[in-house]
Amino acid sequence: MSNEKEILQKLRDGVVEYDNDMVIEASNEALAQGIDAEKAIFDGLVAGIEEIGRLYELEEIFVPEMLLAADAMYAGLNILKPHMEKKGDGGTKGHVIMGVVQGDVHDIGKNIVKMMFDVAGFEVHDLGRDVPLEDFIEEQLNTNSDLVCLSAMMTTTMVGMPEIIRKLKEKNPKVKIMIGGAPVNENLASQWGADGYAKDANNAGCY
Amino acid sequence: MNAKERVINQLLGKEVDRPACYSGMGNVTTAGLEQFGYKFARVHGDAKMMADTAASSHKLFGFECAIVPYDLCLEAEAIGCVMNPYEQVDQLLYPTIKEKVCHSEDEMETFPIPDDVASRGRVPLVCEAIRLLQADIGSEVAIGTYVLGPFTLAGQLMDLNDLFKLSFKSPAKVNAMLDRLSEATIKIARALRDAGADYICIREMGATTDVLSPKVFQKVIFPHLKKVRDALADVPTILHICGGTNKIMNILKDVGCNAISVETKNDLAKSREDIGYEPLLFGNVDAYNILVTAAPEDVEKAVLAALEGSCDSIWPSCDIWPTAPIENLKAMTETVKKYGAEKWVRKNR
Ligand code: B12
Repeated sequence: MSNEKEILQKLRDGVVEYDNDMVIEASNEALAQGIDAEKAIFDGLVAGIEEIGRLYELEEIFVPEMLLAADAMYAGLNILKPHMEKKGDGGTKGHVIMGVVQGDVHDIGKNIVKMMFDVAGFEVHDLGRDVPLEDFIEEQLNTNSDLVCLSAMMTTTMVGMPEIIRKLKEKNPKVKIMIGGAPVNENLASQWGADGYAKDANNAGCY
Repeated sequence: MNAKERVINQLLGKEVDRPACYSGMGNVTTAGLEQFGYKFARVHGDAKMMADTAASSHKLFGFECAIVPYDLCLEAEAIGCVMNPYEQVDQLLYPTIKEKVCHSEDEMETFPIPDDVASRGRVPLVCEAIRLLQADIGSEVAIGTYVLGPFTLAGQLMDLNDLFKLSFKSPAKVNAMLDRLSEATIKIARALRDAGADYICIREMGATTDVLSPKVFQKVIFPHLKKVRDALADVPTILHICGGTNKIMNILKDVGCNAISVETKNDLAKSREDIGYEPLLFGNVDAYNILVTAAPEDVEKAVLAALEGSCDSIWPSCDIWPTAPIENLKAMTETVKKYGAEKWVRKNR
């Protein structure tokens, strides 16, 4: 059906051109035409955000452009996601808690990582930045999330990570923890008992 | 020629014997804090503690300046934000803004900026610290301070995501806000100068090409930096940008500060290709991966590389990280003293 192709293309272009209205229109068209919501998300919105990720990596676009594309993508997700969840539990791949550790305001990178989880179909609970240790634990208990993502951009604040990891594991040995941010690396992650580390947002998505 | 003359004369374009080793960003160390038994969280709110610890960097490892303050909240607080110094936390943390003053796009044009910003918040306290430093070691070393660039300041006052998006989407709106902010920056910088600051570093650290395009930098960041610089023509200024800067070196040069400071990510040879050898270029010893975690031999190598890369004075790439070992910081100042004159590219060309 060429119509479906056109609508998917419109979803994709809307994201790449930071055009919220275009994405909203295309999302409604997709539903009206009976296009599978999951297909519209992955072959439309996600295709667009992948292109944005590629351009960002090439330094052809920068953080403002990325955030605008994310807004357009969220505009579409808001319309399409509820129609995905109707099919039983298949709507979400799992719950993720995300935050920048206490004393650290650097959240530009975390916001990009959050977007990657959103497009990958996770339900993200974003605690923001400068997040005290207890808040991670409490949120984990409240949401029973499978994954907790910690971000730190400073060497002074990353040292707070091992304790958060220890306490989270103490309360719930099954929880997976992933850490990231410029000063953190693979070695520190395993030394501190984290389950994963990713260098950047693109790699975080593959987890 | 003592350190003070070296630093100031070089900034004014006069003859000096060698590159200096100093900075325009925070210079507090854990060793300096321990010497006085001060807690980092309390230093920000006490002029004497601030001055004592700033001076300790010269006394402990021969840094050729003293700089106050250590945090990035001074201007935002004077405008009305609330700062968190983390007094309740044991870990050494840098202060952050916990309550912002601009909550929406509409408020960007209307949130009030007090006329007397320069006498609000901790501005008088930092002025006092500068006076104490001038009295203590001001005859030997240069006493410096810093202000935030208007864009980085805006990021302290409102949601940064919104600021980023608007910079791309509605530059006129952001420009109007930054124009107002640059007035506040100028007033605060003047007060710091009047208190005796020998030079002022303008830190536009939120505007690196790691996050912003050169186009947006030209359109939204540059005009206000230029305005601030032009209003401070009677005091030496250094423009510092963190992160990637190679794509905007020409724009930085056009701001017209007495010197440009760049961090480790900057390819110095490429920078000179773009801006030539005339402007003073400072940098670019990695403040963490070299000064904190490497050995003194590595520090020496990094300093030599910076000199050979044509740095005119050696600056850490950002704030000195408090836990940097004194041996490393000594290696930095000693290497500049020992090899500075000989390796100075400006003299050897
Ligand atoms: C922008 C910036 C700021 C802004 C932050 C605005 C904000 N809301 O984020 C402002 C101006 C406020 C700021 C303040 C300070 N900063 Co600052 N800042 C930077 C700068 C220039 C860029 C950081 C950035 O956003 N990069 C772009 C993003 C996209 O990259 P990213 O964060 O690395 O994220 C990617 C990956 O790391 C990864 N990732 C990130 N998180 C996670 C999490 C998970 C789970 C995963 C999987 C992956 C992942 O994916 C992301 C996308 O690919 C860096 C220098 C630099 N070039 O890195 C300094 C830097 C981080 N800052 C530094 C410092 C010192 C400070 C201050 C302490 C200065 C001071 N004197 O007060 C204050 C901090 C106050 C505080 N308590 O937090 C130092 C830290 C040094 C150190 N040893 O740790 C740096 C490195 C500068 C330097 N050269 O020394 N800063």
